[in-house]
Amino acid sequence: MSDTLTSQQPPRDLDLDACAAEPIRIPGGIQPHGALLVLDPERLTRLQGSANLAEFTGLDLGQDQALDAVAGGKALAAELRRWLAAVDPALLRTVEIAGRTLQVFAHATPQGLIVEFEAPPASEAETLEGLYPRLRQFLDAIGQAADVKAIADAAVHEVRALTGFNRVMLYAFDEEGVGTVLAEDGDGVLPSYLNQRFPASDIPAQARALYVQNRVRLIPNADYAASPITPAASPVDGGPLDLSHAALRSVSPVHLEYMRNMGTWASMSVSVIVEGRLWGLISAHNREPRQVNAQVRTACDILGQVLSLQIEAREQAERNGQRLQLKQVETELLAQLALAQNFEIGLIDNAPLWLGLTNARGAAVVREGRVKAAGSTPSVDEIRTLADMLGARGEELVVLDSIAEVLPAAESYAALASGLLAVPISQIHADYIMWFRPEAIRTIEWAGDPKKPMTPGVDRLNPRKSFEMWREQVRLRSMPWTAAEIDTATGFRSAIQSFVLRRAEERAELTTRLEAINKELESFSYSISHDLRAPFRHIVGYAELLSDRQRDLDPKSAHYLQSIQDAALSAGRLVDDLLNFSQLGRASLAKDRIDMVKLVAEVRRSLSTNSTAARSTGRWATCPGPGATVRWSARSCRT
Amino acid sequence: MADLRPILLVEDNPRDLELTLAALAKCQLANDIVVARDGAEALDFLYCKGEYADRTPGDPAVVLLDLKLPKVDGLEVLEKVKGDSLRRQIPVVMLTSSREERDLVKSYELGVNAFVVKPVDFNAFFEAIQDLGMFWAILNEPPPRSLADA
Repeated sequence: MSDTLTSQQPPRDLDLDACAAEPIRIPGGIQPHGALLVLDPERLTRLQGSANLAEFTGLDLGQDQALDAVAGGKALAAELRRWLAAVDPALLRTVEIAGRTLQVFAHATPQGLIVEFEAPPASEAETLEGLYPRLRQFLDAIGQAADVKAIADAAVHEVRALTGFNRVMLYAFDEEGVGTVLAEDGDGVLPSYLNQRFPASDIPAQARALYVQNRVRLIPNADYAASPITPAASPVDGGPLDLSHAALRSVSPVHLEYMRNMGTWASMSVSVIVEGRLWGLISAHNREPRQVNAQVRTACDILGQVLSLQIEAREQAERNGQRLQLKQVETELLAQLALAQNFEIGLIDNAPLWLGLTNARGAAVVREGRVKAAGSTPSVDEIRTLADMLGARGEELVVLDSIAEVLPAAESYAALASGLLAVPISQIHADYIMWFRPEAIRTIEWAGDPKKPMTPGVDRLNPRKSFEMWREQVRLRSMPWTAAEIDTATGFRSAIQSFVLRRAEERAELTTRLEAINKELESFSYSISHDLRAPFRHIVGYAELLSDRQRDLDPKSAHYLQSIQDAALSAGRLVDDLLNFSQLGRASLAKDRIDMVKLVAEVRRSLSTNSTAARSTGRWATCPGPGATVRWSARSCRT
Repeated sequence: MADLRPILLVEDNPRDLELTLAALAKCQLANDIVVARDGAEALDFLYCKGEYADRTPGDPAVVLLDLKLPKVDGLEVLEKVKGDSLRRQIPVVMLTSSREERDLVKSYELGVNAFVVKPVDFNAFFEAIQDLGMFWAILNEPPPRSLADA
């Protein structure tokens, strides 16, 4: 694999500590397949150099001596000055030095210009111009590739063709840093690791950070003896020389041991960086030591960057595609919810859309302790327990691949629901919308047992020795929730919140309107009682007074007068009855004990004095007894 | 038998007034009937102000008070009288066209002595007026003058 690989098993903290202690950026030496010189950027005088400098380059440059002052140094000095005058961040040139043709790379650091020397390409085909047609071909190939896997296949094939290594793999790292071998091309000399996993600890965090900065690393021979930098301390700042960006940087002995344990003597890796993150690595290995010149490495770097861009574009397209598709589901669901009496009913009635929102197999909504569920979910009580637990955690978003990891009791329903995506929908209650996914039992092939304890009794961290495939069955876990699904859930949460809010507002508005209407109705009946009732009263009154004064009216006139009275009277009573009826609902009914026997007697009496009593055919039967009383409003009884 | 204090009838509707007066006349009560056409006038009489500034002092035997009145509403008159320690002895009978529960509750809260809904039936109305007149103007013993006029 790569740099500074340490033992892969727990305790993880120990690994990280060991890595932090591992001086990977300041190893104090370089790999001896090249030489290194540090120059003052102004005067081009020597600050530091590798022990093999004179031997490798023929430049015999004493401490503080200027490059121009030594034999063969003039051409290089001129080249460096030209480069320094321009704005290029790095220099890559073939330069004649004291009769030798060398590849020269230079980059500026706070500790001075770091100039590295390597042997030139062996043949014309290995120059960048010679490599161009190959790269062109590769670009065409991946442009047509259907998916990331196809691009990865093309890339490993191309890198193997460029470098001639026995085996080239492409790892993709997951969120936890576990590397999976996505693509592999090999000649059979080295074992295949296709589809296997390498634990995150194989490449520690510190190394990952360095790989994002310096994309290409080469170790042509795992058995090398480093050429030390002299003097060890930088004359500029007194610290060790930072070789983060140097191609010849010597690597950790732990990593070299790891390589030998893997049975590989040469390795090269190219970082695949997607959205600023180490997405993966192209890792090439050879059983025997093998040199890869700067042109080929540059070609591999370009290839890695093209790969990065392609993966980024495709991942984004895939994510956007999924987001768009989920957004359509959400739009459709929200349209349905708008028609629903409340959103819980709306969700249940549109369960396929609800589940489709996050590609879930089950879903539930918990609102003020009430649970509504659809599809494959735990029981109502279990969902309630889950909501209580989430409420205690108080997170804005809950994304779990394994509920059982945080709630051991969830193991019992793992087959129904192992994955949980939940969003809170209330500020006050433990109300949630939850989506569930069943357990997806998978077999993972590890390159070596990732949990195997490290060899005891060794004072230094040991790289693992076994890369025998180790199968692990993953249980109690669902398929992971994708970024698009999680985003959709979060978006849906705000939609539901505004939906609930809007409903509450509508209800409040309705109540206000209802109150206003009731008030209007009240004042209407009030004015009827005053204004409509009074004229009837007056008609009756005046007719009565008139009949009092005219006692000797002829029978017809008397009949007319009586009719006026009767008609006004019955109209007045009608108003009274209507008013009584309209007041029934809002009267503050005072409850009294009512003797039902008395009540019946009263009704009987009132009927017998009424003119219509004659037509009444009702039969009366009273069953007197002490229990025949009820509590009711006397007023509504009489009505 | 109590001395003959006047009956204060507060009524703005001329027909109601005429019919009530006719009913009271039928009762053949000896008491004077003072008519106020609105709440303000009623208060003037009760407090011997305005056009009643020079009247013979003394409270009426009873106030027959309509609920809906111009200027000062019947309930306001009631509130004023019953909220006044010097006047709250005066019997006040609400005489109204409305059987609105709200008014009934409010009137009793304010301390009304009786609440009568004018019946549509004139005979019943007549009987009611007669009963009221008989009870408040004749049968009811008013508080000692010293207390009432204190």
